[in-house]
Amino acid sequence: MAARKLEEINAGSMADIAFLLLIFFLVTTTMEVDAGISRNLPLKRELDPNTPIPVIHDRDILVIMANSRDELLVEGEFMMIEDLEEKVRDFYLVNANGQENDIKMPAYKYITGGVIQEEMAKLKAAMDAAPENQKSFYQEDITKWEKRKTTFQTIGAYSEISNSALIQLKNQANTSYGLYIQVQDILKKVVNDLRNEKSEELGWGEYKKLDPDDPDDQEKIEMLQVLVPERIIEAKIEQ
Amino acid sequence: MGKFNKGKTRSVPALSTASLPDIIFMLLFFFMVATTMKEVDMQVEIVKPTATQAEVLENKDAVDFIYIGFPTDADEGTEPRIQLDDQLALDYTQVGPWKLTKQRDGRTAFDIVTSLKVHEDVGMRIVSNVKEELRNIDAVKINYSADKR
Repeated sequence: MAARKLEEINAGSMADIAFLLLIFFLVTTTMEVDAGISRNLPLKRELDPNTPIPVIHDRDILVIMANSRDELLVEGEFMMIEDLEEKVRDFYLVNANGQENDIKMPAYKYITGGVIQEEMAKLKAAMDAAPENQKSFYQEDITKWEKRKTTFQTIGAYSEISNSALIQLKNQANTSYGLYIQVQDILKKVVNDLRNEKSEELGWGEYKKLDPDDPDDQEKIEMLQVLVPERIIEAKIEQ
Repeated sequence: MGKFNKGKTRSVPALSTASLPDIIFMLLFFFMVATTMKEVDMQVEIVKPTATQAEVLENKDAVDFIYIGFPTDADEGTEPRIQLDDQLALDYTQVGPWKLTKQRDGRTAFDIVTSLKVHEDVGMRIVSNVKEELRNIDAVKINYSADKR
């Protein structure tokens, strides 16, 4: 038998096959990036009906209401969406120097080592006296004060917006989602801007550049969250 | 005057195409890696709102998507509907049980972000109901999907 010589395989069509695959993937590719505004909904917790409801002063709440006709009412007054950012900034900043510049906006409190000690002692005593199923509630508050303590230890005494200051969003059944997102976007923008300003003031650089995976930066982020808190509650929609 | 190249015809040497497949393969691999195929068939039309503060959603494996928009199928009416995976939900009460079936890799509903992709003209009633449903099962991490402006 004669030994047959293997013929070389023609690789000329390889390019065509690869092209075919390439075009398939080109067509099916969607390079869409998902972006959005992240929020945490408040956790549901069962409160003991005997727990006294904390008193929240009217001045500490900024009510933003979007009605079914997509009109915006802030503290009961009509407002254009363009003016909302300034209003929210005012809410945070108008009394920031510790004086009563606007008595309808939340006051600032000077946080010193003494205040922290006092508040924490009070909470610990309350926790010891509370029934077992309510202890976690106090634990949350103590954690908050521990964060203030870290902040105090790092940057010294500082002033902080009243700790019941919050923004309340109210919607009606037919309020459009688009308007709701616009409002959420503005709230996020104000808080991000203010944290950024604080961050630069303290010499930590841009707020956005702080990396949550780096323990040092993480601590700074937590402190900025103490200095510029973001407290938003959403009322049930009105039918 | 002298003549150059007398009696010689020059020809351009044939271009070797042997490396063409390699180049194509390189491109191919790039697109294969970059491709994310659409996982779901959209049954609702969604025009996302825009936001300046929108942040890119990372780690998509740990995200569930809920779509709320107007049905593309005219038989389904014109009221906004909720789409979970490939199906339209009958109403918002299906959201909670659906979210619980999505728990995986030891991650609970609490750990997995829920991204709401909602048409900007949808009313807040349905959105609010869905959020309340999620809150009931402690799935409190929410992302309002929006395009970056």
